[in-house]
Amino acid sequence: MLRALVLFLTALLACAAPPAVAQDSQLQAILQTHADEVADPGRRSVGPLIDDLAASGLPGIARFLDRWSNKQVFLNAGDGLFYYGARDGETFALRDIASDEPVGTAPASALEEIRPNGGVRRVIGSALVQFQLSDPDRATRVDALDALARRPAADQLEPLRASIEGEPDPALKARKERLAGLLTARFGEGTETRVAAIEDLADATDIETRAGLNRILASRSEVAETLPEGVNLARVLEIGPDLSEADAYSRLVDDGLAPAPVTNAEVKTALTANIQNGAVAGIPVEQLSDPDRRTEAYAALAASGAVPPLVTPEAQAEAVASHVFYEVYEDPDPVVTEAARSALDTIEARVARFQVLDIGLDAVSLASIYFLAAIGLAITFGVMGVINMAHGEFIMMGAYTGYVVQQIVPNYTASLVVALPLAFAVTFAAGVALERLVIRHLYHRPLETLLATFGISIALQQLAKNIFGTQARPLTAPDWLGGAWVMGDVVAIANIRIAIFVLALIFLCVLLYILKRTRLGLEVRAATQNPGMAGSMGIDPGRINMLTFGLGSGIAGIAGVAIGLYAQVTSEMGSAYIVQSFMTVVVGGVGNVWGTLAGATLIGGLQKGIEWFNPSNTLAAQTYMILFIILFIQVRPKGIVALKGRAAGD
Amino acid sequence: MTFSRLTAASAAALFASAGLLSAQDASCPIKVGVLHSLSGTMAISETTLKDTMLMLVEQQNEAGGLLGCEIEAVVVDPASDWPLFAEKARELLTVHEVDVIFGNWTSVSRKSVLPVIEELNGLLFYPVQYEGEESSKNVFYTGAAPNQQAIPAVDYFLEELGIEKFALLGTDYVYPRTTNNILEQYLKDNGIAEDDIFVNYTPFGHSDWSTIVSDVQALAADGSLVGVISTINGDANVGFYKELASSGIDAADIPVVAFSVGEEELSGFDTSNLVGHLAAWNYFMSADTPANAEFIAAWHEFIGDDSRVTNDPMEAHYIGFNMWVNAVEAAGTTDVDAVRDAMYGQEFPNLTGGTAVMNVNHHLSKPVLIGEIRADGQFDIISQTEEVPGDAWTDFLPDSAVLTSDWKDLGCGMYNTETETCVQIKSNY
Amino acid sequence: MRALVRSNPSILWFLGLLAAFCLGVTFLAEATGTGAISTSFVKTLGKTLCLCLVAIAMDVVWGYCGILSLGHMAFFGLGGYAIGMWLMYARTEIIVSASLASAAIPPTPQEVEDAIASQIFGVVGASEFPWLWAFADSLVLQLAMVVLVPGLLALVFGWLAFRSRVTGVYLSILTQAMTLALSLYLFQNASGLRGNNGLSGLQNIPGLGGVPQSVVSIAFFWVSAVALALGYLLFAWVVSGKMGSVVRGIRDNEARVRFLGYHVEGFKLFVFTLTAIVAGLAGALYYPQAGIINPAEIAPIASIYLAVWVAIGGRGRLYGAVIGAASVSLLSSWFTGGGAPDIDLGFYEIQWTDWWLVLLGLSFVAVTLYAPKGIGGLIDLVAERRAPSRSRDLGPDASALRKTEAAE
Repeated sequence: MLRALVLFLTALLACAAPPAVAQDSQLQAILQTHADEVADPGRRSVGPLIDDLAASGLPGIARFLDRWSNKQVFLNAGDGLFYYGARDGETFALRDIASDEPVGTAPASALEEIRPNGGVRRVIGSALVQFQLSDPDRATRVDALDALARRPAADQLEPLRASIEGEPDPALKARKERLAGLLTARFGEGTETRVAAIEDLADATDIETRAGLNRILASRSEVAETLPEGVNLARVLEIGPDLSEADAYSRLVDDGLAPAPVTNAEVKTALTANIQNGAVAGIPVEQLSDPDRRTEAYAALAASGAVPPLVTPEAQAEAVASHVFYEVYEDPDPVVTEAARSALDTIEARVARFQVLDIGLDAVSLASIYFLAAIGLAITFGVMGVINMAHGEFIMMGAYTGYVVQQIVPNYTASLVVALPLAFAVTFAAGVALERLVIRHLYHRPLETLLATFGISIALQQLAKNIFGTQARPLTAPDWLGGAWVMGDVVAIANIRIAIFVLALIFLCVLLYILKRTRLGLEVRAATQNPGMAGSMGIDPGRINMLTFGLGSGIAGIAGVAIGLYAQVTSEMGSAYIVQSFMTVVVGGVGNVWGTLAGATLIGGLQKGIEWFNPSNTLAAQTYMILFIILFIQVRPKGIVALKGRAAGD
Repeated sequence: MTFSRLTAASAAALFASAGLLSAQDASCPIKVGVLHSLSGTMAISETTLKDTMLMLVEQQNEAGGLLGCEIEAVVVDPASDWPLFAEKARELLTVHEVDVIFGNWTSVSRKSVLPVIEELNGLLFYPVQYEGEESSKNVFYTGAAPNQQAIPAVDYFLEELGIEKFALLGTDYVYPRTTNNILEQYLKDNGIAEDDIFVNYTPFGHSDWSTIVSDVQALAADGSLVGVISTINGDANVGFYKELASSGIDAADIPVVAFSVGEEELSGFDTSNLVGHLAAWNYFMSADTPANAEFIAAWHEFIGDDSRVTNDPMEAHYIGFNMWVNAVEAAGTTDVDAVRDAMYGQEFPNLTGGTAVMNVNHHLSKPVLIGEIRADGQFDIISQTEEVPGDAWTDFLPDSAVLTSDWKDLGCGMYNTETETCVQIKSNY
Repeated sequence: MRALVRSNPSILWFLGLLAAFCLGVTFLAEATGTGAISTSFVKTLGKTLCLCLVAIAMDVVWGYCGILSLGHMAFFGLGGYAIGMWLMYARTEIIVSASLASAAIPPTPQEVEDAIASQIFGVVGASEFPWLWAFADSLVLQLAMVVLVPGLLALVFGWLAFRSRVTGVYLSILTQAMTLALSLYLFQNASGLRGNNGLSGLQNIPGLGGVPQSVVSIAFFWVSAVALALGYLLFAWVVSGKMGSVVRGIRDNEARVRFLGYHVEGFKLFVFTLTAIVAGLAGALYYPQAGIINPAEIAPIASIYLAVWVAIGGRGRLYGAVIGAASVSLLSSWFTGGGAPDIDLGFYEIQWTDWWLVLLGLSFVAVTLYAPKGIGGLIDLVAERRAPSRSRDLGPDASALRKTEAAE
């Protein structure tokens, strides 16, 4: 009572605006008793406060918890009370914590924004679950289920079950039922109920189910001289395959079952401490640079009892052999753990198959990116026999075009619709210009073209740096490309990658159509196979070269937009893809769309395959891939799909 | 107006008279070398620091210079070419005869410069967070050592978020490697099993993140809480965060704490999907203090662009430069040995509140801040520690735990406390 | 020898100019002369001489033999790594033995080695020597590595490539892939060569701790100059006489030389391997002057620059390569070092640190388009005017430029 009065008076003195009605709210009083915890909550210490709030049964609790975790609660330094606040220019509009009525404003300097961290938000979220499970707003219910899945607890089972009946959304209802099954499996009463629930889970692959089953199977490892009776044994660890002897021995040392081995450093310290008249145990110090003499000296010291004796490897092996190392389930019920184990085994077998599919999809995605990046290069290489080192810079140019368009057209979808053709147009023009100004003069000098286009590449890269700066530029995909296509929480592929795959397919078809079904394509194929003969048949090689070069560059521009959507747009992005593109062309074979496709597939698949075997080092995957390509060229110097005819050379 | 001009004039006069005593020690103008890449891959980060130095020098000159002299900034461009760093450092010290150098970003560039600085007895202020395991008599490290950034961030993961499994993702170079080694040991000491730590290294500028992100997701399959500690550098972060966002990984599911992602890096992408992911630094632009507001205003005025952000290494230069100025005034000379002695115990207020202190191991005591990414590309500071003294040799690796650095009393940067000997006077490079 | 000089009059000119240049630098250097040239510039000049040496090698393999190798800087870097390993090991050994000597108990050999390893590899979080470092304690063996490692790599790679008749653009790309794979491999910390950090502090020569860098730099400058002179003589001999004719024949028409009964692959392999070895030696001289070697030095771009120098200097002329390497690399450091004055256009200020690469790229295109003989071509013009020669110059002739490179 006195406290309330004091609060009331301080509030009145500090700021006249809040009406008196705010002060006698019970919620505020609870918060004030835990004022420090509300202002600076911690994951481990917030429990009592949440319990108090839940126990009070006040109507505004759910609203408070929700806003608290969303950083909308403020501490007013003036009166020491908590308010809901919303920024309004330089000041904040305050609302009462219990009634949510406006109670005036306060300057930003007087308020302290309360920012519960992620751990606290998780606790708050799970406290909120019971209030939100039947919330009319679907998004709130989804949040509640997410929170429930993240931090399942025994006491949530009942509210969850109660909310299933009234759930209008079928998808959410299914999810609730699954979660209820999961909770029953973990926290249910009676072996049979739990086993039944576990068996129902065996057809899922999602991460929540696997997590739940793994939790049931949580075990601790123990060591003893003989295997004890009456424990729910998970497995016995074999020395060698499951546990190395050194690890096993250090377990014994940790448990105080064996003496700690004496390390070389300890030997040295002991010897140093026992130097007498320039000798240790009679062995002169200068001889101690020999490890055998050291052991000898130490053994002598140990014999005299000055130091603990060395633990020989034999003694270690013996100690390990005389103990049994095993793991015990935390859950005492063997029937339940048995059921969970078999359910999990079924699930994991399915997950393994899905993982192969997942890595396959990743490989396809990577291959389609390489295909898009390389196809332009392959066409120009095939038709004109020149390698365009500036090809990577055309990719970059396309990406920057996308960035610029996005600066002008703020709608992401619309900007993408504008950016794709524009990127094609820009790089097509750049390609034609390059062909007319430089490459035309260097026909039949492919090595010089290589170098001249390299000069262009340096210049373009630096030019991009001068214009756009070295900082990576944002190129954001529209929301409908934002998510991922997920199957059973194992197979996941970002929508943007699917879109790139579709784009690659479209270009494959378009190119095939152009090459096989149009006049231009006929001429291009003729020029590829035999330029001299094509020329004498009335085909203008200059025009063909110009158009193919433009087409190849244009596709690079589109590839740039696509790459920029899922990765970074920088002035150096081109050089990251150029070598990869060369490899694709060389492996695939020159001047053939199918060859490039084969090359891209091989390289993408190979890279992902190596990554799969060695997941901790992506860099190694790239090295091995290049080595493989060098060797591959030995076997098929003309690539996978080799052209026949005059163009094949030699 | 008149008043401030008067005080400035009298201050200048005061400095001039004080400077007379030491006029023979400090030849005017006092030269400050700025060794930051203005071209090449690192220009992105380092150009900002060059501008910061120019601003600080300008401010100091307006406040009356130093020892009665003007300060002149000598800017050279090592062009992100590591051998060129050594060459340019030699040029600064022997041709331009600078009194101090502020510079470097990458560890490899610092290692390249070290032999030159030590040979010619120069003085270098290094402003970037780094992997530690080094102490040079001629370098003051104003960025964070691992115990001032990585360890507190992991503590936050363990204590506040209750993370049980860790994915340490990094770019394959020395800072992530060493930091992750230290963290792995630290996590094991804190009871995290070796199997619960996933480590992956990717090349610079890596863009294909789908497999790695799904590997991280798979860690959560046993119901543990998974957290990512990211030492991914530079551009590669763009692809990484985009992949995180498109995989629907929420900060509440798998929080990511980054040590190399600051305000500058976040300006490269849309952060609306990244809200709640974390970064650990000694400074955030959103720090709500008058000193920070003033610094940001001065920066915006100097650079002429209100949208430019400030970041942690800028604060490190701010503290380092001001400490050096105070040390020079205390020593009355720019002589390297005298300034070094005057540096020990130098104090200067942080921009985030509190006071930074220069310790005898050439590292600062600074508070550690953890911030959550906001939708506007800034950070909400959700945790701020007391000042933590930087540790040159980590306590969490057995080889380094016995080493200590004390240039004042022991006169050694690599002192073995077990054998009580100085391992070496020069630094290891 | 006399015949060699007669067939290559440029040798005398070159050696004379090089000697004069070296003496001039020595008289102006800090340690031995007036001090007008700073130590850092002496180092730059010494490094430039090494670059000239590798450029000559590149010229022989490309300008004379027609193999556009985009991987010769890999050999250069390998030479640097080989010598760098010894430099680091020996330097650290001195430090470690001094530190361990003060301990109460003399160290075991294993302890010394462990201490060296943790000093060298502590920075990458390892503390054991990888197998690569087996010979690092011996200067002689590591010097052998300088020759053997690039030589063997070139031999194996060249044998694989030439055997399967990979030529032209394909070969260029394969060599580029080789250097990329190597640099990616070295970038890994697990490669045993300290990953991205590479080997550093190489300018501190073990056992010469008391000798100032001004003296070390001028010594290395002279050694580099001698190496360049010897390299010039060696390659002048290779490209003259009968072998030179065959090599040039391969460049101009490989099939015809093969039909004449020459073992084309053998000649190519010899030239490729020899130039790789010389590149390795040049690298071994370069990196102690640069002070640090890391994988970025081996990145494909470095080898492309090498080709650019040779092309700008003029292919098929040894002195052209020297001119190209020296002028472009020195100009490059002058422009990027902020030495060139900015040009104010009124509406825009051209800062050369930003625009130099644009200029380089475009001038390179211009040289390829309009002056395929490069700067060396100018010297030919002068020489031609002074003493018209009946024989054609040794550069690639017009038909070579136009047709046979396009064999692929």
